[in-house]
Amino acid sequence: MFQGVNASDGIGIGVAQVAVEPDLSYTPNAHGDPDAEAERYNQALNKFVERTRAQAKRMAESVGEEEAQIMVGHINMAQDPFMIDEIQSRIGQGMAAEQAVDEVCDMFYNMFAGMDDPLMRERAADVQDIRTGLMANLLGKEVIDLSVLPPNSIVVVAELTPSMTADIDKDNVVGIVTETGGRTSHSAIIARALEIPAVLSVPNCTTIARTGDTCVVDGTAGQVFVNPSEDELADFRKKAAELAEEKKALEAYRGKETLTGDGEKVLLVANIGNPDDANGALEHDAEGVGLFRSEFLFMDAKELPSEEDQFAAYQKVALRMKGKPVIIRTLDVGGDKEIPYMKLKKEENPFMGYRAVRYCLDNPEEYKVQLRALLRASAFGDIKIMVPLVTCIEEIRDVKKLVEECKEELKAEGVKFNPDIEVGTMVETPAASLIADDLAEECDFFSIGTNDLIGYTMCADRGNDAIAYLYQVYQPAVLRSIKRVITEGNKKGIMVGMCGEAAADPLFIPLLVSFGLGEFSVSAPSVLRTRKIISQWTKAEADALAEKVMKLKTAGEVRECLEANAK
Amino acid sequence: MVSETVTIINPTGLHMRPAGLFASTMGKFKSTITIENVENGKPINGKSPMAIMAGGLSCGTEIKITCEGEDEAEALKTAVDLVKSGLGE
Repeated sequence: MFQGVNASDGIGIGVAQVAVEPDLSYTPNAHGDPDAEAERYNQALNKFVERTRAQAKRMAESVGEEEAQIMVGHINMAQDPFMIDEIQSRIGQGMAAEQAVDEVCDMFYNMFAGMDDPLMRERAADVQDIRTGLMANLLGKEVIDLSVLPPNSIVVVAELTPSMTADIDKDNVVGIVTETGGRTSHSAIIARALEIPAVLSVPNCTTIARTGDTCVVDGTAGQVFVNPSEDELADFRKKAAELAEEKKALEAYRGKETLTGDGEKVLLVANIGNPDDANGALEHDAEGVGLFRSEFLFMDAKELPSEEDQFAAYQKVALRMKGKPVIIRTLDVGGDKEIPYMKLKKEENPFMGYRAVRYCLDNPEEYKVQLRALLRASAFGDIKIMVPLVTCIEEIRDVKKLVEECKEELKAEGVKFNPDIEVGTMVETPAASLIADDLAEECDFFSIGTNDLIGYTMCADRGNDAIAYLYQVYQPAVLRSIKRVITEGNKKGIMVGMCGEAAADPLFIPLLVSFGLGEFSVSAPSVLRTRKIISQWTKAEADALAEKVMKLKTAGEVRECLEANAK
Repeated sequence: MVSETVTIINPTGLHMRPAGLFASTMGKFKSTITIENVENGKPINGKSPMAIMAGGLSCGTEIKITCEGEDEAEALKTAVDLVKSGLGE
């Protein structure tokens, strides 16, 4: 078994097709007849454009118009008069076409790779793709063609380039394995869009697997099995069949409202980590975003992201979600999330230290950059601001004061924003839970973050196996805390949501229905299943179960009772 | 030779798609098309999406568009309208 990054869910069983990049080396400093070289270059360019146009057409059908535009962009870039001039002038001076293409692509690659704008840096990868295409044509080599694979293929490749993904035929490819790329890479996004199980960053996979080997790709666990035993294979076949069946049954809930058994409407939204995840949220039919963790913007950067960078990211999500609610959590730095350039001091006890809203309020000028970006993006969709780790009233009041300051500034600058933007609290500490009644008067909404609420309430680290019995949402102390937050929020008429894993826990959902939770924010692939489970419980049934459960004294009893009554 | 100054309003600036749209639209004119970032004055070939992208022209940037050739008036009007319309975004 080989472990990689779980980039796209599901199990794929098939035959490995190992694609190796063609050798594109050429003889440097070769001279040629300029006219003949220019003609070779023209032909190589024409062939590239033809092939890319066909890819764009296929991609528009299989993935979507937006992705097809990447290929159209390749055509525009390859046919760029500036690029052509640069190449032709080198050829005119006697340089061989290969070297001219290579040098000019290098020039553009370096230019884009060195730019500040992350969108522009992505163009460097496009230049690489264009280089590979042109060079292969000049050298008479075939670029890997993934459009002609036999059925049940598992594509094994060092790196999946945009042009390769454009070739992938969804009907024939059942799995993808690569040597590079993470969950947010282009390959991962495409694999998820195509719903092909994918495991990325498996070192040396192109030498481990050989074309013809039987492979299993478990995209959920991030594992790849090469030539598994008959028993293992039978297990995976069973698991894959079960998954397929479940998925098919859940399709009945697509496009429907989320209603409890007696028709009470609740909001079912998704947790996302970066703007591209918004697509996944929509594909899985989420009704909005309940938690957009803004940390990715800070963790992927080398310095504090500018207001423009942040605005671009928030706006992207707002536009993609087309008016659906999007709750964005402001920077949750510290604890386990270290951001090197912020130079936070090492602390004895980082989870109880200088982090999240505490850091932000101590650095108001930095925080205002984020608040301004959020306000500006609120002109493009229903953006709400969520403040993490609030433990006392002053914190939320201070944040609101900063928000008001930012609004005044933007107004003076004539910049558009939503003046009624909602500001809410992520309830994840026992302190916030205990003052939920007062806190609710200061907030437009609550969102219960169960992961930290369990940890802080039980004084138990989630990663510590020795105390795993404490780290459970079924602990009576946690149950009471959650019930209290929902009840107090509802009393004050504000929306109460939950963005921790418990919101998608089939056993836990009836309790949340009983307590009166208004918004469930879950991982995108859990949306349809959560909608189904919510629909199975009427308020009366859920109340009867909750009444029983709230009398129980131990987490074990709670769990048993919930399991016994699960539908 | 005619020119006019406009401000880029589409949110992500002149990245691939807007730059491509601008360059391909302007490529149909016989005139030469030059874009200048008003702040630093570097001339950019307006028919080259690569050059436009490399110019790093973001939202809010003021640009001066210059057209020169037999169809310069029509070219300039098209270019200015295109930028003002947000380049398809």
